[in-house]
Amino acid sequence: MAVPDMRLTVDHATVQRGAWSLFADGTFSDGIHLVSGVVGSGKSTLALVMAGLFVVTSGTVKRDGIKSMMLSMQFPEFHITGLSVAEECESWGLDTGTVIRSARLEISGSVSPLSLSRGELKRLHLACILARKDDLLLLDEPFSSLDCGEKERLCSQLNARSQGITVIFTHEQSAFPRVDQIWEIQNGELFNVGKMPEALVRWQHAPALIKKLLDAGKCPANLTPDAIREAACRTHGSG
Amino acid sequence: MITLSDIRFQCLNIDTLTIPPGITSLIGPNGSGKTTLLRLCSGIAVPDSGQILIDGKPPRETETGWVNEFPDKNILFSRVSDEIAASLRFRHAPCHETEESVRRIADTVNIGHLLSREMREISGGEKVLVALAAALASRPALLVLDEYDSHLDRAYCDRMEMVIRESGASYVLRCTQNMETAASSDHLIFIERGMVKYSGTPDTVFTSLSSTSFYPLSWRCPI
Repeated sequence: MAVPDMRLTVDHATVQRGAWSLFADGTFSDGIHLVSGVVGSGKSTLALVMAGLFVVTSGTVKRDGIKSMMLSMQFPEFHITGLSVAEECESWGLDTGTVIRSARLEISGSVSPLSLSRGELKRLHLACILARKDDLLLLDEPFSSLDCGEKERLCSQLNARSQGITVIFTHEQSAFPRVDQIWEIQNGELFNVGKMPEALVRWQHAPALIKKLLDAGKCPANLTPDAIREAACRTHGSG
Repeated sequence: MITLSDIRFQCLNIDTLTIPPGITSLIGPNGSGKTTLLRLCSGIAVPDSGQILIDGKPPRETETGWVNEFPDKNILFSRVSDEIAASLRFRHAPCHETEESVRRIADTVNIGHLLSREMREISGGEKVLVALAAALASRPALLVLDEYDSHLDRAYCDRMEMVIRESGASYVLRCTQNMETAASSDHLIFIERGMVKYSGTPDTVFTSLSSTSFYPLSWRCPI
């Protein structure tokens, strides 16, 4: 039997908090979506809205064909419930050794998760999240605290997700997986900038390197390091 | 100069290290000891053995501003303006002077619109900006920034680079996982497994890291 398409629909959703507001209207289908916006624009609030953890002032959020979902919050400390790494892994229903190996950490399960460096804690947290293979994955600043090698590894893991919707809310400037659609929040409103690579020329919050490539007439096929390197090395006008 | 000699503390094992005035970035894998080194230089922690001197004085005798990547850990007050004013009030600065300084620093960091907001209402990136403003209020000789940039957009990162340069701090020590930011530093230190592997100008250090993922993408992609 064919698997029904998954769709996350944010239907004319508004959040009003004093003078601050956010309006979002759009449909997120299978693939990797990147949401950018300035500091305080409402990315984390939108992630909470999509996860059903924040009550909208008006509008609705619908999840069609989505059987499981997970929100990874900006700061991994917020997720910790166990007093030891082993307890933390068990709280996710996961085997401690498998998670530690998957996070490539050299630690014992008996240590407190809060004794880890922030980067190590983020790796532990992401390993727990990615082991679940949820249909909808909402990742708020997943790259923060990760070292360069771990950022690349996370991108590979996200690229390897065989199906499902992945929404990444980030300020990251250089490490990206293979993105399908770009969205951005401007002046309190969520806009669908479009599909890759056409969206790049319209992307207000594009990283400096992408802007530089576009200024040089070289549009990368995607945001992955390989695509950026390919565009940079391309003879002018051949792309 | 900041000089470290025979430092042994937790995972850190540093025989000698000299950090010149200016902006110094610490880079390295997760768990290598970057934050631990920042904690020692700022006087938050004291090494089990060895000595750290900042222009001849111990860290705890140096005016230091500290910005954590996870600012909730350091927040003392519920209102943004009170948080920025904290260090000035603790030293009994006159009220009008404190208010003027808070307003000026908030404008410099571009968060004047947040002054009357509650800390719990603002975003993670905004909290980092408030922490930076609070750190600058005491006019520190040493400004320590622990991955403050991972929650800021490009425009704010560019602005903060300028604010930090013009802060008057003799030394800025920062951890970053953004290699483009690291490349703009005056001095770069690469730490691995608690030891300083490379220290020097960004050119020198990144040349040694050219085969690793730490090499800046923009340097691999000359346009």
